[in-house]
Amino acid sequence: MSLLAVANKDFQDTVRSRGMALLVALFSLLVAVFAYVVRPQGQADQFATELLLSAFVGPVLVTGLVPLVGVVVGYNAVSGERESGSLKLLLSLPHSRADVVFGKVVGRGAAMALATFAGFLLPALVLIVTPVTFNAGSFLGYTVFAAALGVVFVAIAVGCSAAVATRQRALIAGIGVYALFVLLWGLFTGRVVGAFSGPIEALPVSMTQIRTFLDAANPTSGIELLANAFLGDQLFAGDSLNQQVSAVAMLVFWTLAPPLAGLLKFDRDDL
Amino acid sequence: MTAIELRGVTKEFPGVTAVSDLDLTVEEGEVYGFLGPNGAGKSTTIDMVLDLVRPTEGTVTVLGRDATADSVEIRKRTGVLPDGFSVYERLSGRRHVEFAIESKEANVEPESVLERVGLLEDADRKAGGYSKGMRQRLALAMALVGEPDLLILDEPSSGLDPAGVKDMREIVSAEADRGATVFFSSHVLAQVEAVCDRVGILRAGELVAEDSIEGLRDAVGDGETLEVTVDDATDAVVDAVRAVDGVSRVDRDGDALLVSCDPGVKTRVIAAAEDAGAVVDDFHTEEASLEDLFLAYTEGEAPGRSGDASSANGSGDDPDPAGSEEVER
Repeated sequence: MSLLAVANKDFQDTVRSRGMALLVALFSLLVAVFAYVVRPQGQADQFATELLLSAFVGPVLVTGLVPLVGVVVGYNAVSGERESGSLKLLLSLPHSRADVVFGKVVGRGAAMALATFAGFLLPALVLIVTPVTFNAGSFLGYTVFAAALGVVFVAIAVGCSAAVATRQRALIAGIGVYALFVLLWGLFTGRVVGAFSGPIEALPVSMTQIRTFLDAANPTSGIELLANAFLGDQLFAGDSLNQQVSAVAMLVFWTLAPPLAGLLKFDRDDL
Repeated sequence: MTAIELRGVTKEFPGVTAVSDLDLTVEEGEVYGFLGPNGAGKSTTIDMVLDLVRPTEGTVTVLGRDATADSVEIRKRTGVLPDGFSVYERLSGRRHVEFAIESKEANVEPESVLERVGLLEDADRKAGGYSKGMRQRLALAMALVGEPDLLILDEPSSGLDPAGVKDMREIVSAEADRGATVFFSSHVLAQVEAVCDRVGILRAGELVAEDSIEGLRDAVGDGETLEVTVDDATDAVVDAVRAVDGVSRVDRDGDALLVSCDPGVKTRVIAAAEDAGAVVDDFHTEEASLEDLFLAYTEGEAPGRSGDASSANGSGDDPDPAGSEEVER
């Protein structure tokens, strides 16, 4: 199948990049540093896995770094090939432009997930063999959420990449997306909600519901919500069930809509 | 069925018309040379055939299908060697060919294709380390996968050494013998002459000539250019030569006279120059070469004039103009 051929090619190309090895090393290093910080002290041999994840790995690595890495992995997916000329080679073969864009999402998404797993697993292996009680299940499960967040941002960045003609513009768009979702979301949505407080009051929803929706609409906070529910054994259960479901829906949306929008533009362009 | 058919095709980019009202037909099974200087619109035309660029006006039909609507179907049966492409630096040559095989769902061993283009020994090296010529061979290998009905080669010999050009020519001939249609663009004439059944010459986005090589040569006529080197090319000498029956044109180039004339009047030209007081040091004739033909069509001069074609074309990658003969006295 054409899309899979593109995805397979792109995956192989991406995992061979020096950046990928660097990424795995960076993840490993950070997880190791955090693990050292929360290591069992004195008589205790209970390793605070959940603390490690929710207080250190979560805020720094997952919500801060993983989206940025996703943007970096995805931004030159299409624009880079367009700029270098390898897109001519790619499109001389029987691939539609849709196959190219979604093949890239799949290929780079898989590479991103692989890098996340590899980066988290290397320190985990060390923790598993050391004589401390380490909750491997929580740790590995958490890695899945981290990888999923990376894939979402890869998809958004590939969408940007398909929509613009140059690598540079794709990078600017990608960094804009990162800034919006990771750094400025609260500020931005707060302003918007503030500006439309009049019309919103007329709606049959409360301000809290709006804020809850906006929170779930951001892939970063969506993943955070799901991951924390998972760590608290409340995944798809408990009080936040509805919120979790909307978070999942929004993650799917962010994985599909940006590449689709990018494709609409890419499909019309002269290359 | 025609392999490629363009009808009234115009392509405008912001501020420039790359191709203007172009009609072009490439018959199935023929080898068609698409000529023109750089910037004439050759690559834009090929990009429209491949649906990388959509025409502003007109229709493009490839292998009986619409170039835009059925692009994927067309490319399943087409092998393309693009111009100005780049390879995937981190992937091996073999991986590139495997990708082409997967993409075209072809049933062929990558080794056989790599061997055909002379890349088998370097197949496991990363393509990023390939020379320009090897990259060109690699893209050709990808184009050859799956025995395409149509081969589109955009400036195929750019970056190739003479051995590579020869290999390319042999592959084009073999593909044509197999029954494939070959459409290739070039700004180098010698290659076209060797393999093409028919050539079209594009100039500033318009097709200015389309014929067989022989036909084009006939259109230019039997005119020859006689170059006469004298001790002193005075006006009197030029006028005397110009007065000879059968001389259509005389240009002065330093101490040399470039004389366009009928084949039979050479001796009379020499005699006239000597009668006018000149001492003839040397002379030789040149048949109107393809270079002249090409320049005549692409630079808008009268066909048949040799003039300074050879010096204007000293780019180094052209062998001597075909058909030139030298006679020294």
